[in-house]
Amino acid sequence: MSDVTRILNDIERGDAQAANDLLPLVYEELRKLAAAKMANEAPGQTLQPTALVHEAWLRLAGDEYKQWDGRAHFFGAAAEAMRRILVDNARRKKALRHGGGQQRVDIQDVDLAGALEDDQLLALNDALDRLAARDKPKADLVKLRYFSGMTIEEAARVLNISEPTAKRWWAYARAWLFAEIQTAN
Amino acid sequence: MNTSASNPEPAPSSPNREEAIFDGALQLPPGQRAAYVEAACAGDAALLRRVQVLLEAHEKAGGFLNPAALPAPAVGAQGTIVISPLPSEKPGDVIGRYKIRENLGEGGCGVVYVAEQSEPVRRRVALKVIKLGMDTKNVMARFEAERQALAMMDHPNIAKVLDAGATSTGRPYFVMELVRGIKITDYCDQHHLNTRERLDLFIQVCNAVQHAHQKGIIHRDLKPSNILVTLHDGIPVPKVIDFGIAKATEGRLSNLTVYTELHQFIGTPAYMSPEQAEMSALDIDTRSDIYSLGVLLYELLTGQTPFDPQELLKSGLDQMRRTIREQEPSRPSTRLSTMLNADLTEVARRHGSEPPRLIHLIRGDLDWIVMKALEKDRTRRYETASGLAAELQRYLHDEPVTARPPSSLYRFQKLVRRNQTVFLAAGAVLAALVLGFGFSVYELRRALAAERAERKEVEAKLGLVEELHRRQLIGEQLRNAGLLISQGKMEEAEELMRHVPAMSADSIIYNVLGDVHADRTNWDAAIQNFSKSIEVDPTNYTAYHHLTPLFLRIGDADAYNRLRQAMLRQFAGATDPAIAEDIALDCLLLPPTTTDLAVLNQMVSAAQTGATNEETVLNAELAKGLAEYRGGNFAASAGRLRKVAAKKGDKDRTLQALIVISMAQQKLGQTDQASATLAKAADVAGNDFPRIHDHDWNDQLTAEALMNQAKAIVGDAPQKNAAAQ
Repeated sequence: MSDVTRILNDIERGDAQAANDLLPLVYEELRKLAAAKMANEAPGQTLQPTALVHEAWLRLAGDEYKQWDGRAHFFGAAAEAMRRILVDNARRKKALRHGGGQQRVDIQDVDLAGALEDDQLLALNDALDRLAARDKPKADLVKLRYFSGMTIEEAARVLNISEPTAKRWWAYARAWLFAEIQTAN
Repeated sequence: MNTSASNPEPAPSSPNREEAIFDGALQLPPGQRAAYVEAACAGDAALLRRVQVLLEAHEKAGGFLNPAALPAPAVGAQGTIVISPLPSEKPGDVIGRYKIRENLGEGGCGVVYVAEQSEPVRRRVALKVIKLGMDTKNVMARFEAERQALAMMDHPNIAKVLDAGATSTGRPYFVMELVRGIKITDYCDQHHLNTRERLDLFIQVCNAVQHAHQKGIIHRDLKPSNILVTLHDGIPVPKVIDFGIAKATEGRLSNLTVYTELHQFIGTPAYMSPEQAEMSALDIDTRSDIYSLGVLLYELLTGQTPFDPQELLKSGLDQMRRTIREQEPSRPSTRLSTMLNADLTEVARRHGSEPPRLIHLIRGDLDWIVMKALEKDRTRRYETASGLAAELQRYLHDEPVTARPPSSLYRFQKLVRRNQTVFLAAGAVLAALVLGFGFSVYELRRALAAERAERKEVEAKLGLVEELHRRQLIGEQLRNAGLLISQGKMEEAEELMRHVPAMSADSIIYNVLGDVHADRTNWDAAIQNFSKSIEVDPTNYTAYHHLTPLFLRIGDADAYNRLRQAMLRQFAGATDPAIAEDIALDCLLLPPTTTDLAVLNQMVSAAQTGATNEETVLNAELAKGLAEYRGGNFAASAGRLRKVAAKKGDKDRTLQALIVISMAQQKLGQTDQASATLAKAADVAGNDFPRIHDHDWNDQLTAEALMNQAKAIVGDAPQKNAAAQ
């Protein structure tokens, strides 16, 4: 039984602490996975974060573990982990560009990108924090969809809201974040 | 630039006007949005601007954050990365004799499609395929159970199973009667069904569930999305679908259930019965469905489930189970009356009603029927779905229902049965209170018999003691808070109470803290505690009664007015004379609107009619006199209150009566008498008025509020009264 499966089982049993253990594990797995993939990629290739999340899921738990609750927890943690990785990555690249003085380009510094440019990603990250402070469920919805690659239906299930509600939230959160980023610029 | 100035700020989880207007605008064709938004914002320029910014952002956002617009997954040297967990069927695919037309939605462990059958008959059906990536033996066993179970049933309100098979990739599918309906809750809201119409639909659902139960089938996952309403010749017909995790209580099917692992969380938390939450899956019976029906009925009546599904999910599995097993939900009418005004108005609108009428309709019988279905102890629920249906029929025919509020003895026994430590804690709180206030029950009783003048206060204290017996969610923290109170460590007790989740706290503790603070003239702290008390239990009249003079003491007329509206909503129909007279007097301390005055007059009449002892009669007379004064019947008011003032007994009542008489006299142009009466009042009040420190602070503050008004109109008060102030 893998660590992740054990943790997911703990979560199922109601161990609140277990959920905290999940994030670092998923985070590490995603980093390793991204590094390994990048080693085999032609330079300039990008990896899709959501694809990584799904692969991480299959590697960590996929074959042993198929219960929805654990899956929901995993993708929630993965969304958060992926967000941190992308934001770290963007920050580091930005530091390099602004004359950080480093010559060596680490494997983690090459592109691991969504559709957004680094600056946009950082702006989104800030805006998302502001949204989370005001309306956490909607920020969670954005993270699940954007960073974990969940569909509206899946995210609605994780958040235990109806699909129409999820769609309404999504439209609102998306417009809100877009306006927020625009104003901040 | 200040970003928040131009961007809307959604209030966490509470309804938000920007969001509502934004949602509404998106339902319209783009050309109609501007006009709608302008109308909806009703002249609120800031709001209009914020919604416009949002809509503009919506137009311009394009593919922003759209996962579908992300670059295609890179293909690494090791092969493809992504394996989609989502269904692979698409319109046009053929499965067996069925051709997929469209995706109808996802539910449970499968995806449902509309499919076309060409032979032997041409018809449209619902085809449910197990989701890719979830086809464990476990799920297959559940589907197998569903197929057999559904075949055994034949009821107009249950969707029939027609066929079963396996796809070319080996995944099982099931073909069911196509139900093109919408969730029962959505149907009721969209069509503004009134309570009676909702109950009619619900009774049909009960009958369907009864049919299944008679065949030995438990649904185990009853919830609105599994109960769809379709129109047959314009008549709404509910259909129960998706007996997907049904389990037969008969042996024939039970071999399938061994696959259902004990720890697997089946069902939807908000509709899950306490015994399901317990997860001793083998012990589920038909009464779990009765509980879920109770949740559905609760939702149909109030628009909300007894426990907030999101809160449940967020609280973690352990807490979720505990909540479902132990926490008593608010009664439906209580839930309604504690909603935000806007929410309540919306719920009432969906019922084609107005808030007070809706609350009034649900309070009482419907409350008790719902609460009986939701009993934690399943032996106390309705025994059958038809029993629940019959009860609702009795309600609809205005016949007496069998569900009754549990007696306090029963509730107390239940408390003891559930948790020994909780019981001990309750005893400790009781002891702490008794010690802390230097009262014992014996003394209270003796005092009650001997001291008529103190009767009211003693009753209040006795009420506290009885309330303690009734309350059911007293835990360790409350016990400690009680002990700290008894030791006079108010700050520590308050600190502790800050960590008690509001829902599990006991309003009584806050009332006690507020009372003690008020005794010590800590008005703000008293107000905070009584406010908290109302939050915890919006039906507890003591907290309202204490808050009214406190708000006047600190000069916050706005807060007083808001509280008065809440009181009128909560207690307008109060029949207990002691409550009616107190609340009426409290609500008359500042001039009410004509409409409110009419309601208050009714309350006073109710108090007068119900009054059984001299004290209550006199208090009701005092309230009546003040009501007459507020209504402009000055002569009647003065005449009535002179009789009240002439009675020996409660000094503060005499004082309050005299003050109102003086104001009435002033209004009648009898300025000399008015001044004389006010001087007499000042005499009664004494030189140390207001004396707060003798547990009479409420009466004293009430008198003080009236006295201030009298001084404002009666003019120069005699010198010695001014000195007394």
